[in-house]
Amino acid sequence: MNIYDVVIIGSGASGGAVAYTLCKAGYKVAVLEKGRLITRKEFSKDELAYCRRDLVTPDLWDEYHTIEEKVEGEWVATPTYESGWSFWNGNIVGGSSNFMSGMLHRLHPDDFRLKSKYGEIKGANVVDWPISYADMEPYYALAEELVGISGHYEKHPFEPYRSTANFTQPPTRENAVVKLLDKSCRALDIRPLVTPRAVLSKDKPGRDACYYSNLCGSYGCSSGAKGSSKEALLKPALATGNLTLMSNTHVKSLHTKTKEEVDHAVVVDTITGKEKQIKGKIFVVAAQAHESARLLLNSANADHPKGLGNSSGELGKNLLFSGGGSGQGELHKESLKHIKFEDLMTTGLFVNRSVLDWYFIDHWWDGKFKGGSVEFMFEHQNIITRARKNGYEDSTMVWGKALGERLVKRFTEQKSIRFEIFNDWLPNDNCFVSLDPTHKDKYDMPVGKLRVEGHPQDVKVGNYIAKKCEKILEEMGAKNIYSGVSSAPSQNLVAGGCRFGNDPETSVLNKYCRSHDVENLYVADASFMPTGGSVAYTWTIYANAFRVADHIVKHLDKG
Amino acid sequence: MIKRRQFLVLGSLIGLSSYIEAKEVSTFESAFKPVEPTIAAVQEHLFPEGSQIPSARFMRVTEFLFETVAHKSYDRDIRAFVIEGARELEKRIKLDKRTQGRFVSLSSSEKEKALRAYEETNYGSNWLSRIMTLTMEGLFCDPIYGSNVKEAGWKALNAYGGFPRPKTRYIEL
Repeated sequence: MNIYDVVIIGSGASGGAVAYTLCKAGYKVAVLEKGRLITRKEFSKDELAYCRRDLVTPDLWDEYHTIEEKVEGEWVATPTYESGWSFWNGNIVGGSSNFMSGMLHRLHPDDFRLKSKYGEIKGANVVDWPISYADMEPYYALAEELVGISGHYEKHPFEPYRSTANFTQPPTRENAVVKLLDKSCRALDIRPLVTPRAVLSKDKPGRDACYYSNLCGSYGCSSGAKGSSKEALLKPALATGNLTLMSNTHVKSLHTKTKEEVDHAVVVDTITGKEKQIKGKIFVVAAQAHESARLLLNSANADHPKGLGNSSGELGKNLLFSGGGSGQGELHKESLKHIKFEDLMTTGLFVNRSVLDWYFIDHWWDGKFKGGSVEFMFEHQNIITRARKNGYEDSTMVWGKALGERLVKRFTEQKSIRFEIFNDWLPNDNCFVSLDPTHKDKYDMPVGKLRVEGHPQDVKVGNYIAKKCEKILEEMGAKNIYSGVSSAPSQNLVAGGCRFGNDPETSVLNKYCRSHDVENLYVADASFMPTGGSVAYTWTIYANAFRVADHIVKHLDKG
Repeated sequence: MIKRRQFLVLGSLIGLSSYIEAKEVSTFESAFKPVEPTIAAVQEHLFPEGSQIPSARFMRVTEFLFETVAHKSYDRDIRAFVIEGARELEKRIKLDKRTQGRFVSLSSSEKEKALRAYEETNYGSNWLSRIMTLTMEGLFCDPIYGSNVKEAGWKALNAYGGFPRPKTRYIEL
């Protein structure tokens, strides 16, 4: 039987980064991906297929989670096949990075030392990281270059320092609405920044620049402009000849031979149902936070009774989502200021604006606390979704000719501008993944049970920022402004569950994301994060996976 | 969190009877045929001729609804609900002394009354909402699915999705 140097479970952002680095270093790598391969040519902007049916995620009757929420003081677990509330994200080769909007930021240096900076927060398990921003910075720079993140650097007190002067890819083209947005922000003494975006504005070898299709987030990219794991990392890794990419290959469990070493993975072919073993010298789990923890829990054995690498009892604990919420307002033809309506209605171009002014709050009246970041964008341009939003008036359905008039007006005389807030999801004792005691998936393995309670501080921070953002929309002249901040978990932004740290008694992984207990086991995805920061995780996932991969190369070089 | 099955079943006069039969793809067609005229008439009432957007009849949304609900990617509980909700509507109309007959044979104003009365119930409002969603999917999805004829839905809204357009339905490769 083939013994690979490295076996990677999952082909998303982190799996791709590890595969890329190891293959380039000359090692034989296997990437096991449970989903299928959809190539660049096969991607389309089919709203029905990609956004309204579960065609790139498992059927919830086959594979699902149970979600535990407090109902009248008791924890009640509901299977997601009942609620329809899927916690899957893009289960195809390249993972959910295929479908991201790609609005990315680096963490701030203080995100690595939240406890030192802000102290204890009651009911939250805040700790400092075992590494600093300086350890991660070279890898943020590497990810920026390899993934292809476009942008324009401007100095800002909450923008972390960079080792390179500016982005090599200039920003993607922008809709005229940014003139109105920038002007409105400045009138309020707010500094809008250009959003770093994992979308190429210029060609890169093997990948064409963005062609401004109008539908980006939630869709696969047909030019390779989007910096998905598949386009940016797996393809060059395949070109080395060192990568064996196995799609439709679901990993059920990992098995140890000695206490300190994983020997093989038991995998099932998702089409034939046949099981086999995959052997490797090093195993890297990169299945997305909640599934990575579940796989290790499902790999418990006599030497590791509480789950593989779980001597600390911390496996699955301190799961993180993203705090915050969103809001929007309508820019109407008849009251539009500063820009032409037809320019506003031009499709395909980006908004590309972020606000970091409230990343940290230190205000004489409001107090001192960790805040968050804000992204501005148009309402998602999906036609069916937008049309469907116009179906009610005062909770009564609108239909007939009245609906026709309403839809035409909505689509031709206005456009909605939107903001999304990202703030820390504070780690706490009521947010974790464990194994469901009764529910099993179609492969006969216990499903992950997710308890998803947020900390009250998260909603407070979200509301604080939402009010500021509503003022920007008001200043822009938007109508019918509303916002919603909720304590519901963001199922597309998941981290934590395998905290890294220096103390094996309080953390699952060491500072290189290697298991404290099992010497050839790494977890490369967002699971390692003890605190989440206040931006989308993706850039940090890429960067950290490159850092971990460098360490694995050293590990293997030593023999 | 709403428990899906609960809201599908609660408040139905028919209840769970024959609920299971319509769940499976294989038996869906025979369960659909008897209620097809009802569903088509409801869709035509929601999207009539002479509106600023093309009518349900012209856009072939009933054929779309059948095919998309019958497809394996469609939720099996909601598949059954689509059928049951139509049977429920007919049952209510039959029980009502003022109307009797079938939904299709009612006048436009009687249809309006019947649907508004159905909307008053939780169950009916969920079903109408589901039919509205399925109809809008048909009106505004890619014409490859057989509806949104000649892109008339997109033209009416002056809204176009993006390129490339799908070459197969449901990413079937």
